Amino acid sequence: MKGLRTEGLTKSYGGVRAVDDATVTFRHGRINALIGPNGSGKTTFFNCVTGMVEPDAGTVTYHGRDITGRGAHKVAHAGIGRSFQLCRVFPRLTAVENLLVAVRPRSVLRALAPARLKSDVDRAMGWLTRVGIEHLADVEARDLSYGQQKLLELAGVLMAEPETILLDEPAGGVNPALIDRIGELVRSLNAEGRTFLIVEHNMDVVMSLSDHVVVFDRGRPIAAGPPDVVRADPRVLAAYLGG
Amino acid sequence: MRSGSEVVWQAVGLVVLAAFLVAFPSLAADPFVLSVGVVIISYAVLATAWNFVGGFTGYISLGHAAYSGLGGYATGLLILRADVNPWVALLLGGAVVAVLAVPIGVAALRVRGASFVIVSIAVVLVLLLVFQSWGSVTGGSDGLRVPRPFDAGVLRPEQHQRFFHLHAVLLAVMLLCWWLIDRSRFGLGLKAIREDEDKARSLGVPTVRYKLAAFVLSAFFTALGGGLYALWFGFLDPIFQFSILVGSNMVLMSLLGGVRSLFGPLVGAVVVGYATEFFKAQYGDTQLHLVAMGVLLAVVVLFLPDGIIPAVRGLVGRLRPGQASIREVTQEELAGEVRR
Repeated sequence: MKGLRTEGLTKSYGGVRAVDDATVTFRHGRINALIGPNGSGKTTFFNCVTGMVEPDAGTVTYHGRDITGRGAHKVAHAGIGRSFQLCRVFPRLTAVENLLVAVRPRSVLRALAPARLKSDVDRAMGWLTRVGIEHLADVEARDLSYGQQKLLELAGVLMAEPETILLDEPAGGVNPALIDRIGELVRSLNAEGRTFLIVEHNMDVVMSLSDHVVVFDRGRPIAAGPPDVVRADPRVLAAYLGG
Repeated sequence: MRSGSEVVWQAVGLVVLAAFLVAFPSLAADPFVLSVGVVIISYAVLATAWNFVGGFTGYISLGHAAYSGLGGYATGLLILRADVNPWVALLLGGAVVAVLAVPIGVAALRVRGASFVIVSIAVVLVLLLVFQSWGSVTGGSDGLRVPRPFDAGVLRPEQHQRFFHLHAVLLAVMLLCWWLIDRSRFGLGLKAIREDEDKARSLGVPTVRYKLAAFVLSAFFTALGGGLYALWFGFLDPIFQFSILVGSNMVLMSLLGGVRSLFGPLVGAVVVGYATEFFKAQYGDTQLHLVAMGVLLAVVVLFLPDGIIPAVRGLVGRLRPGQASIREVTQEELAGEVRR
């Protein structure tokens, strides 16, 4: 089966089941959204899927292949990229170096090749241009504004050429103009065939951007469907209003 | 642009350094100064070797004396117990330590931050106990006398001179390796690990393999440094070989010079090594030289937190006209960038 799917995924921290028996299928080639109240297990779910933490039980499959507990770099090699909540870049590397990290050497010998090979730098500059910060290529990431860092992180994820991209709160903490710009980027990248899975609290963004919404509450999916159907679902309203 | 000026800096540094290293033994006033020179360059070798892990990956090992000590003992024991040629023993010793570093690295690199520091200290303390207790092989607390590699006709000053140049060759090989890694994809991966290991993993960097490779390479060079020191000094005692003080000196020198700079550990070794001898000469047998060192370190930590080399480079950059900081961009410009 094409796409990303979890079955019975479970992860506990102490006595708390952060993700509890979650069986979810995301639509390949679409923009999927994952929403839910704070503490409903969205980020833990992300971390389990991308191999950052090992789930206690359950499986993650990608295109029918089991990738559970494979280790984060192998999940990345399988074609799944991710951004982090609150944005994470390499502060003391320049913008272009931030992207070059994602270049994957195919052999030990090629790992010793210069990091600034022209073909790689050109590709990196291409992505920086696409997100609109190519003029900051030689600036260290820590000297960029928060919005610029958000764009840089997205460009870094894209540099690894992932087929599926998981974004953790792409609209969090950025100004409305930039939110629109990120939204446009996501839409155009999706039109080029990339699948998205977005965790987001900004409902306007979720409703306008996504084709398919999955709602989490207390570590498990309680509803899934098109945005307008999900929005009207009484279980979703109850979860958000604390029912 | 940044990398362009970086290369110029490194080239200038290299020429000055090479000229100094070749000329130093003939410039040295007497054998004592020459022997101090050997001690300092030996520390420069160890600190630069340490920096393959500390500088690239940010994993601070306080127990790197484990590998210099093992390298020294491996060299000495191969000569004494297996009758191997001293120079072959030196290289074999390095190889043995590199092999030993694989399981140690696999275990130690599983933990980060303070936990890694503590594991690295534990390794050196375990080795200290083993080498003290296993007297029948290691000579125990009585120490191990390592025969000189040169015949009796070579006098003391001549010995110092030869060992100074041998250390210089090893240092040159290591600096070349560091420079090559620094500009490679592997090196960029290591730096990404230093900046944010989880983020690096999520971008597909095989962090476990990269860290281990850097760790083993560092242990190998540290062992060669330890072996060369053993051949020069001619005597090994576990309490000095497996000492946390030696390990923390490597860290100190690297931090002082600047861990992200090619020549950082070398500059740090020269400053700390020279200052140690200077303060010792000033204050004689008292412990005041330790106080003076403490003051020196406090000054560096307070005023040059990134080390000497970045501080000097920053100063030169500021004196150059027309270099605006990136922060001097107006709010409107920033907003414009975002809207574009």
